[in-house]
Amino acid sequence: MAYVQPLPRVAGMREEASRTCSVTGLRVFAGAQALTVANAVAAVLALAVGGLFGLSLGLTRAPSLELLSPDVYYLALTGHGVSALILWPVFFEVAAMVFASSVLLNAPVFSMRIGWSAFGLMVGGALLLEGAILSGDSSVTFTAYPPLVASPLFYVGYLVFAVGALLAIVNFAFSLLSARTTGAHSGSLPLLTYGVAVAAILALFSIASGLVALVPALAYSAGWIGAVEPIVYRGWFWGLGHTLQYVNVVAMVVAWYGIAALAFKAGPVNQKFTRIGFILYLVFTVPVLGHHFLVDPALSTEVKLVGGSLFGFALGVPSLMHGLAVMGGVEATLRKLGPASLFGWLRRVRWGNPGVAALTCSLLLFAIGGWSGTAQTALQLNLISHNTMWIPGHLHGVVVGGMTLAFMGFAYFLVPLLVRRQLWSIRLASVQAYLYGFGLLWMILAMSWAGTVGVPRRTAEISYGGEAPGGWDLPMNLVGVGAALAGTAGFLFILNMVLTLVRGRRTDDPELLVPSAVVA
Amino acid sequence: MAAVESSVTSPAPGWARRLPIDEKVFLWLVAASVAFMSTFVIAWLFLGSQNVPTDSYRITPEAFSQQVQTFIGKYGGEDGRAHVPPGEDAYMMAGRYIFYPELVLKAGQEYRIWISSMDALHGFSLVGGGQNINLEIAPQHAYGATFTPDKPGEYLIVCNEYCGLGHHGMKGRIIVEEGS
Repeated sequence: MAYVQPLPRVAGMREEASRTCSVTGLRVFAGAQALTVANAVAAVLALAVGGLFGLSLGLTRAPSLELLSPDVYYLALTGHGVSALILWPVFFEVAAMVFASSVLLNAPVFSMRIGWSAFGLMVGGALLLEGAILSGDSSVTFTAYPPLVASPLFYVGYLVFAVGALLAIVNFAFSLLSARTTGAHSGSLPLLTYGVAVAAILALFSIASGLVALVPALAYSAGWIGAVEPIVYRGWFWGLGHTLQYVNVVAMVVAWYGIAALAFKAGPVNQKFTRIGFILYLVFTVPVLGHHFLVDPALSTEVKLVGGSLFGFALGVPSLMHGLAVMGGVEATLRKLGPASLFGWLRRVRWGNPGVAALTCSLLLFAIGGWSGTAQTALQLNLISHNTMWIPGHLHGVVVGGMTLAFMGFAYFLVPLLVRRQLWSIRLASVQAYLYGFGLLWMILAMSWAGTVGVPRRTAEISYGGEAPGGWDLPMNLVGVGAALAGTAGFLFILNMVLTLVRGRRTDDPELLVPSAVVA
Repeated sequence: MAAVESSVTSPAPGWARRLPIDEKVFLWLVAASVAFMSTFVIAWLFLGSQNVPTDSYRITPEAFSQQVQTFIGKYGGEDGRAHVPPGEDAYMMAGRYIFYPELVLKAGQEYRIWISSMDALHGFSLVGGGQNINLEIAPQHAYGATFTPDKPGEYLIVCNEYCGLGHHGMKGRIIVEEGS
């Protein structure tokens, strides 16, 4: 059953081959399809690299194993941050931008030339970054705080990637405009497009701030200038890094609604409520970069309190709203099928559906990671947790458990729809999502435990010549176990995606492309 | 029950006027919890016994190093540690890959310790004795933490901000002796 009837072709619109999606009834233009798939494939490759680095980090942090030597550990740490926290989400978000501004609006992409240029620059930047990291002279972690210096190619890679992403945003904005001016789309934007637009606006802040941080860092690395003020750099860098994490959060929320729409044909519980939620991200995100400075010298208590703690608490509000709106929307849809008790509607969910598996685990882990982060933006609590393992515990909850798992779930539907091939294995996909969720939950709890007893983050080994406090080894060994579980599940995702692209059965049968999550 | 909405199509005209009572109640509850947490954090600045230090001043690594040398000249002992008399400010520099010097303090006395970095960003993380206090240490800035050690013992300090390839070996120590 189609959601929508595509509008007839519009005079003045660029002529381009298109087809009608057999599942959604949306018109899919050939250029948009190719560009979306290219970005999604690049995203999956970046995730494979980032995941491999991540697994090796987890196995190094386990004191009983210590897989990598310290030098290689710091190299892998840099590669993990760059690949899994920047390249993977941004490539996926560009895929989402192309999809949301074209397929959902019944219009072609504004300019394929800009689209492919953006993609080329992003791939080039990504390769420069990975090359600089693997050469071994850029082990500065993804934050690259001066006076640590990476090779100039590292910063050039960042900048080229950022310019590519900027072009993709420009193309997205013009696609929205041209869909309207050609008459292909009228009325309010669909919710998914609206959310992606909010993410794109935040990304503009992120890129602008990143340029201010990284251009001087490049100049310092190349020897053109003598020094970079480290706290000032930290400010601009987190204007990039923190804001980008909220681009990721917004994109994750879009993926939640996307999964609910495809698996259940469910929308948000209320349009106004949901869109207020998206706007609140725009209002609250940028000042909360202050939460990185809670125990820094130089900034006043007032700045830390307002920018870190108070706005930090407020930034939890939109995420809570979307959690309610997604689950409430699914509940409302399932209740339409007939009367059900308070939790009776849950029996109408097919829990073995890959989208359901990913959505459930993503909501749960994002809630845990979000809570542990929000609590630690309290000025006084940050004194206890800053740069301990509590922090990676928090960020793996929101970024890996929340975002990556939501993207995986969305990809399980989006990729088959776009390449018109059935997922190589639906059962493996659902097992993968649950195993990934379980492994991450295990790892996050172990990291948080290690944080409460003071284990430092980003540290290759923690014996301190036998002086380390007792009680550090057990939680860190458990981190290794969690990383192994999650790493295995991550590999299963990559495997399933690659096999779908090359071996998946060609079909246009809606039930094979997007299996329904509603019990018949 | 509300009509089922869609995420992939334009919402019906008039959507911007509809916000049901359930969602309004939810928003008020969330706003109340934010207000509660905010009040608590602000109140704790005045009522709490442990807050983020507020003393800091700008100083070059060379000048701070000079302050540390003067401090060691006055209070450095035969054991290579600085024995800080109660009431005196103590100085400690963080540099790849050590916190220097080790400080000897008396339990029950209040001290202010000034810390700055000679090179990269470092993390001052006091982890021994069941304690956990963390500060970001930057070059060009001295950070002054005021506190009263209450239990005698040896307290390990580790660096928890990545500072270079020897980061995992960077440590220091504060020794707290029985108060006189």
